Amino acid sequence: MSIRLQLLLIALTTLLLPWAGCQYARELESALRASQENSLQSAAQTIANALSARATSVFGEPGAAPRFDAAQGDIYFLPLEHEPLLDGYREDWDPVMDPTALPTRTGLAARLLSGATQRFVFLYLEVDDATVDPEPVEPHPDDRFDRVNLQIQGPDGTLQSYFFATGAPGLIAAQSLVQGDEGDSHVVMESRIQAYWQQTSHGYRLETRIPRSLLGSRLWLQAVDAASGRRAGGSIEEYPAGGRLFFTTAGLNDLLATFLSPGTRVTVVDINALKLGVAGSLRRANALAVEAAGASGYRRFIVGDLSQWPLEVTANDRLPNASVQRALAGHTATEWLRGASIGDPLLMAAAPIRVDTRIHGAVVLEQAGDQLLDLRERALANLFNFTLLATALAALIAVSVATWISVRIGRLQHAADTAVNNDGSIRLAMPESARGDEIGALARGFERLLGRLQEHTLYLRTLGAKLSHELRTPLTIVRSSLDNLESEGVRADQNGYLARAREGVLRLQSILSALGAAARVEESIRHSERVNIDLAALLESAVAGYRLGFPDARFELQTPAGECFMSAAPDLIVQMLDKLIENAVDFCSVSGTISVRLLRTETQYQVAVGNDGPPIPSAMLDRLFESLFEHRQGGDDQPHFGLGLYIVRLIAEFHGGRAVAANRADGGGPVFTVTFPMV
Amino acid sequence: MRYDRPMRKLIAVVEDEPALRENYAAALARQGYQVKLYANRASAMQAFSTHLPDLAIIDITLEDEAEGGFDLCRELRALSAEIPIIFLTARDSELDAVSGLRLGADDFLTKDVSLPHLAARVAALFRRIDALRRPDDAAQVLRRGALSIDGEKMQTSWNGAAVTLSLTEFWIVHALARHPGHVKNRQQLMDAANVVLDDNTITSHVKRVRRKFLELDPTFDAIQTVYGMGYRWVE
Repeated sequence: MSIRLQLLLIALTTLLLPWAGCQYARELESALRASQENSLQSAAQTIANALSARATSVFGEPGAAPRFDAAQGDIYFLPLEHEPLLDGYREDWDPVMDPTALPTRTGLAARLLSGATQRFVFLYLEVDDATVDPEPVEPHPDDRFDRVNLQIQGPDGTLQSYFFATGAPGLIAAQSLVQGDEGDSHVVMESRIQAYWQQTSHGYRLETRIPRSLLGSRLWLQAVDAASGRRAGGSIEEYPAGGRLFFTTAGLNDLLATFLSPGTRVTVVDINALKLGVAGSLRRANALAVEAAGASGYRRFIVGDLSQWPLEVTANDRLPNASVQRALAGHTATEWLRGASIGDPLLMAAAPIRVDTRIHGAVVLEQAGDQLLDLRERALANLFNFTLLATALAALIAVSVATWISVRIGRLQHAADTAVNNDGSIRLAMPESARGDEIGALARGFERLLGRLQEHTLYLRTLGAKLSHELRTPLTIVRSSLDNLESEGVRADQNGYLARAREGVLRLQSILSALGAAARVEESIRHSERVNIDLAALLESAVAGYRLGFPDARFELQTPAGECFMSAAPDLIVQMLDKLIENAVDFCSVSGTISVRLLRTETQYQVAVGNDGPPIPSAMLDRLFESLFEHRQGGDDQPHFGLGLYIVRLIAEFHGGRAVAANRADGGGPVFTVTFPMV
Repeated sequence: MRYDRPMRKLIAVVEDEPALRENYAAALARQGYQVKLYANRASAMQAFSTHLPDLAIIDITLEDEAEGGFDLCRELRALSAEIPIIFLTARDSELDAVSGLRLGADDFLTKDVSLPHLAARVAALFRRIDALRRPDDAAQVLRRGALSIDGEKMQTSWNGAAVTLSLTEFWIVHALARHPGHVKNRQQLMDAANVVLDDNTITSHVKRVRRKFLELDPTFDAIQTVYGMGYRWVE
């Protein structure tokens, strides 16, 4: 893994920062929420305690409220702000509500809406009846027509029965059947109870208004389909214990308003969770909601999944929430609700109202949770954004630093790779060595190492010359002694030893001479003068000489037409050729061909000497021209110290050129090419 | 005539290596010379100041004096302009050779030279001294155009002006000029000069010879290099 990647991974650990921030925010969030719950709950408890002392103003007449049972035909009347028009439409009801289904045993679908003002109660009934049988013009008790029965228990406890029916839609009045003295009966209009009958595509609607003065504590409403005999709703005969009426408590709203703190809504429900009074309104922060829409992406991180919360119930008549149920069971409870739109949470706290240890109802206090949440959310979103930014910055810095370091190391590595040139020379200067850090120290370490290597190389390179010089005197002693011995005369049978000793001395001498050759060439290079020579003519002359000198080898010479003048030291050039040719002759096959080729390009001359010997292993090609590099396997008498091609290189470099070795692509043996610049 | 004087020539060998010194002394003594041996410059100079030898063979490095031989040569040359001086040294750099010859040495030999070769040189130098002391004898003079070579006196002149050549250089010129047009390879030149040298040294000898002629005559072009083969004299 590269350093850059490693540091990037390390930098990514700063991502823990926003994560930790998130955790902290969640902790904070739940703590704040708990405190909000506590305060709202204690407020609810306080209100409940206050209200229990004034039970009459809350629950009306003393005594336990009856259990509400819609299936028994019990009706709850919502307080209406305005009296709706009797027009068969419910759109003008305020607040707008949805009707609830009437209980039915025979399958007639009907839905009821009930509301109350100070003077009237209003009932709105929708009946699904494909075939509406109208009332005949002259009604008869036995007539079969669709009707709505209304039974009212008056304030005095008497039961009054009415029915609504019509032959034509429009404003009608309730009718009642009065038993005549003669046993007959006739229909009487009750004009105080008015209604509007309206035909619809799948049935009819009836909106009626009943003065509260006519009304006792019970009321039964029943829709009857004459054709099928199906009914919806009930009658006193069917539900003798049902038909109870439930109203909000008059004046309770004003009482509740005294307990309100801003931004909360207080509701009192009876034991049935039906609303007795409501005061206050929730301040839903619309302005914040707009901003929160942008931040809502973070809400999931901060408060978790809101979808787990129960939805806020917007029913007008009752509060069926779990917390309310718990309160009615005698416990205080709080509950978070999900608003209709996300980002709209609602906190609900409920406390039971006890009168003489019996639970009569509950106080429900609601508070919008969004303000606090939004503020928190924005702060946390900022925190999150900043830490993300910091992380990105840290990662960027880490990657930059890593890149910088790896670039430096790469530079150092490249310099180390190329410190030793193909020609064996060593470049000491390392990049980065001026830096004070570890990489700088490494570079300086490299420099020291290379310095030692250079000293060693230099020592090796001069070793030959030194040896040659130092051994010369003892060798001369041996040889001059042999000379003297020979001159003094030895016995004939000792001549062989003398000859062998002399032969050994000669061989030693040639070894020393070879060892010192490079040093002498370096010396003669220092004293060389360049003259303008025709390289082609020089080559021709030299090759003619080689043909005499190496009669066994075949020489091929190719030179370009015309003269090839260059400024050179001819002796050195010839010496270079000597080495190349000697080398070629050594490697050439017996009676092989040595090709000498001069090539002229735009800017340079190329002298290529090839032989048809075996190719040189490619790993050695680059090193052939190094001092003391020897690749031949021995087998001839001449000592070799790998100086011949080194001398070639010295001379090529003296002329500003360079020497390379290559194997011919067709396997035709190695070619040594020396390139000279033309200038 | 001093030439007939039966007195043995005195050769001074200044060499700090005892074994070599003794070997040289033995070889030269065998040739009939009287040999005096010195290990350092001081003792040699002390002896020279009282009695000059007939010929001096000097090593360059003398004990702890790296260039003691050069100094000795200079001092000896100051005592006598004629005494033949041969440098015989393990140092074979061109610079040393040039320095030595410039100080007035007659020859500069490396220690590769064999004792018989050394003896031949010594004899040649004595012969030259003797010839110089004799009246002119034109019979031995070889003429090649502007060049004239006196084989006895080992003197060379170009257009009448003397060319100062060391013994080795003289023999090289002599070998080349005797057969103009013929290419002499390096081995032949070495043989002619009674010396065993490597190719580089022959090359630098030839170079030096050319330079000496060029100093007298900038148009000098008589010694031609035949690359790959050797050198030849052209008239």
